[in-house]
Amino acid sequence: MSLELLIATVPLMLIFATLFAFTTWLERKALARIQNRIGPNKVGIPCTRIGLFGLGQPAADGIKMIFKENIVPRGADRLFHLLAPILALIPSMLVLCFLPLDFPWLNENSVKAFLLDGAVIFFFAITGLNTLAVFMAGWASRNKYSLLGGMRAVAQMVSYEIPLVLSAVIVVMMVGSLNAAEIAKAQTGGDWFVFSPWGFAAFVIFFIAALAETNRSPFDLPEAESEIIAGYFTEYSGFKFALFFLAEYIAMFAISGLAVTLFLGGGDGPGLAVLPWLSVIWFLAKIFALIAVMIWLRGTLPRLRVDQLMGFAWKFMLPLSILNIFVAGFAWHAEQLDNTFITVITWVISLAILYSAASGLNQLNRGKVRPREYKYAE
Amino acid sequence: MTILGGGIFKGMAVTLRNFVGSYINKKERLPTNDYSWRPDGDLPQGIGDYPKEEGEQLSDTTTVTEYSRNFPMLLHDGGEPMDTVRCVACQICERECPPQCIYIEKDYDENGKYIKRPAVFDIDVSVCMSCQICVEVCPFDAIVMNSQFELSTPDRFGGLLVRRDDLLKSNDYYHQIHPEEAAARDQKMAVEKAAKEAKKKAAAEKARAAAEKKAVEAAKEEAK
Amino acid sequence: MSTAAAPNYELIQQDGLETNLLEVSMGPHHPSTHGVFRMDVKLDGETVVDLRPVFGYLHRNHEKLAENMSYLSSMPFTDRLDYFNSMANNWAYALAAEKLIDVEVPERAEYLRVIMAELTRLVNHISLVGFFINDLGALGTPLLYAFREREKILDLFEQASGARMMCNYFRFGGLRNDVPEGWLDRAGEVVDRFPAFLDEYEQLLCENEIILSRTQGVGNLPRELAISAGVTGPMLRASGMAYDLRKVDQYGIYDRFKFRVPYTDGDTGDCYDRFMIRMLEMRESIEILKQALAGIPEGEIMGNAPRVFKPKPAESYGRIEGPKGELGFYLIADGSPKPYRYRVRPPSLINLTVLRDMCLGGKIADAVIILGSIDIVLGEVDR
Repeated sequence: MSLELLIATVPLMLIFATLFAFTTWLERKALARIQNRIGPNKVGIPCTRIGLFGLGQPAADGIKMIFKENIVPRGADRLFHLLAPILALIPSMLVLCFLPLDFPWLNENSVKAFLLDGAVIFFFAITGLNTLAVFMAGWASRNKYSLLGGMRAVAQMVSYEIPLVLSAVIVVMMVGSLNAAEIAKAQTGGDWFVFSPWGFAAFVIFFIAALAETNRSPFDLPEAESEIIAGYFTEYSGFKFALFFLAEYIAMFAISGLAVTLFLGGGDGPGLAVLPWLSVIWFLAKIFALIAVMIWLRGTLPRLRVDQLMGFAWKFMLPLSILNIFVAGFAWHAEQLDNTFITVITWVISLAILYSAASGLNQLNRGKVRPREYKYAE
Repeated sequence: MTILGGGIFKGMAVTLRNFVGSYINKKERLPTNDYSWRPDGDLPQGIGDYPKEEGEQLSDTTTVTEYSRNFPMLLHDGGEPMDTVRCVACQICERECPPQCIYIEKDYDENGKYIKRPAVFDIDVSVCMSCQICVEVCPFDAIVMNSQFELSTPDRFGGLLVRRDDLLKSNDYYHQIHPEEAAARDQKMAVEKAAKEAKKKAAAEKARAAAEKKAVEAAKEEAK
Repeated sequence: MSTAAAPNYELIQQDGLETNLLEVSMGPHHPSTHGVFRMDVKLDGETVVDLRPVFGYLHRNHEKLAENMSYLSSMPFTDRLDYFNSMANNWAYALAAEKLIDVEVPERAEYLRVIMAELTRLVNHISLVGFFINDLGALGTPLLYAFREREKILDLFEQASGARMMCNYFRFGGLRNDVPEGWLDRAGEVVDRFPAFLDEYEQLLCENEIILSRTQGVGNLPRELAISAGVTGPMLRASGMAYDLRKVDQYGIYDRFKFRVPYTDGDTGDCYDRFMIRMLEMRESIEILKQALAGIPEGEIMGNAPRVFKPKPAESYGRIEGPKGELGFYLIADGSPKPYRYRVRPPSLINLTVLRDMCLGGKIADAVIILGSIDIVLGEVDR
């Protein structure tokens, strides 16, 4: 039993750790190209001058971080200072197990360990621990600005969890099961949830809330605040900082993985009948597509102010996701009738409702801001 | 029907255009790698210039543009530098230099008479701000701007104080790095020299005429 | 500084809870304060209750130094006042000094002066917009686009004067040297490609909802306050007052060019207005540049200034519409080669006096943006 467990878990962790390194490299190069410059390109094969497009950069960064001095502020709580990055990393890694990846070396018996019936609920429960880790980091630094930054981060993460969960509820409602593998199976054949109006709205809400959960731009208030507070991990140096970094990226993978499972069809794609393990490739490709969009948004958008951020979550996303649940329920009942005409009508009505709700809420919250005209004097 | 978040999508389109353009339209969208201003083909011209190997530094002819200026140099007209140096140590540039980075001492011969050359001419290049005022106020066209900028040194105490012998460069070198400016300066000097010669000749003529007239008058006096 | 009194309280009573004010020093080492500038803010939660700017960290004795050097020798130091617009500073000083002696500037030199000044205006406004969006948190993408364009103009400056930023190009009575061959064509190319870049920039920024909601309604400056505080430049025009020294004084040959001056419709201005006014001013600068490059004559570039600059005892004030506001130089000459008094009117400092009034009542995140929209350069504030 333990050997099978090892065969199941260790390759998963290794694969995702390598993907993390690759993603940091990809992010730096992609952001650089957006900004009209090349990213890292000198660190390639060690001890030579061959820069292999900078692929050695993540390794060099990792080695540097390991060798840095571990500074803990005087009077800080040493235990929590050490525990916080570990507590940030463990939930993200734990959640990776439930993604429906059919690796070819796993047979039915070992994979059964991971087919939890309540996978989606387990996912949301465990990612709630990230919030705790952030607050622990802010508290243990004994720095009032870190504490304030940590509290803001907690407020952000807590308020964006609700739209996240509510948009996942729609998929669960349509499929009728919380099992990740079943949800992925229900979308085979190109019948993904994102291709329906309520699914599309739910996907967009999920994606925006996922950006906020992992503290990515434009919601990166906790980490890149250039105003007064440098974030909840100011007082971390060396390997603990590397662990926070790793935790953030693995969380990105995990949430993208869940989004792919719920909305984009899991491992679905052409060529599955011929090579069954191609589903892993498709799964990872879709995750990378979502991560590429996250990097793209990071390069384009400025940051939201904290009250605007909270207003966006509570006054726009929450009403919209609740309305979406009603629309999806109505659509599910309509689909039970199995009549094409009624299905088309349902689609049109739901599109109309969702669009008008979104515009209305937008107008209500942010109706006064628009581009302006100016006068000229001769 | 306006798209919600339409401004954000337009912004994302611009970033995508820049991303793709940095691969296919490098001149416009990736200008950081443009080393085309470097005239010397031997110097590494691509990505990965620095750190340089031993001996790759201190290239003598790094000119960037026609008027580019880095630090001053003293001109001499060929041959042994101190024989044909143009500087006469008048100390005007020392007075006018805004950050006061020049230090000059006149040269005296064995009898204590002032000969027209500098004994000491130091420029502290860590203070010099390349403003060219010394070049403009020099009445003898003796100091001009060099364009060599790779002067870094590991010696913190005096490594950046350039002494007279290192500052002396020949006029031919000046023609090499700033041809138009050097030609214009040579022409101006030739015109001034011709004007001075003409004036001297006219003065000599006048003196000779005056002396002749005086001699004639003296002879007339004698005859009386 | 404004004379409005801040609410004078240390303890705030709210539903039986007492809270203290948090005092934060956004200190001289800060990534968003555009130089070594310090703001002592008192916060009530997130709201700014009091703000005290502290500057002087970059004071370099510019005005006293000029009393010990000849008039020509302090020209390179004027480059370093507002180090983004060295050509504009040079021109203001040259104007002030030319009023002390009787010299006429040739036509070609006047045209080239206008070309250099408008190119400087482009450089300054594009850098400001880039830094402003950078302060909003956009991680440098608009900033690097702006700097890509700025590099082209700095290359032009280097070909004309020998240095990219500290140009030291203007002299009393003209310019130091003529532009090299082909420079006017290259400048024409840069100017022709600039509107396309501005369109791309506007597409990236001006309808972005996040930028709109973060800059509109933030940092209101009423027109009366702006006028009474002595604010000039794009900040004044963004508050609804159409005042531009190029139209009022018509120094140089600005009366020959047809251009418009954008200003806000209304009588207050916020950060969004200041940002948009600068974008529109760049387009007007391009109009002026096109006209100047088309009409520049051949000729001399240096008038008959005396070799040794020793003006008779007099005083003069020369001012230009710099990219940041009214930049003025006040000179008192006493017959010797060195000035008796040399005073700079720094637009950044005088625009900075209304910072407190604009920031009170807003959030701390807005204070950074408001400071970014005033467009200060510490070299000018501290001299």
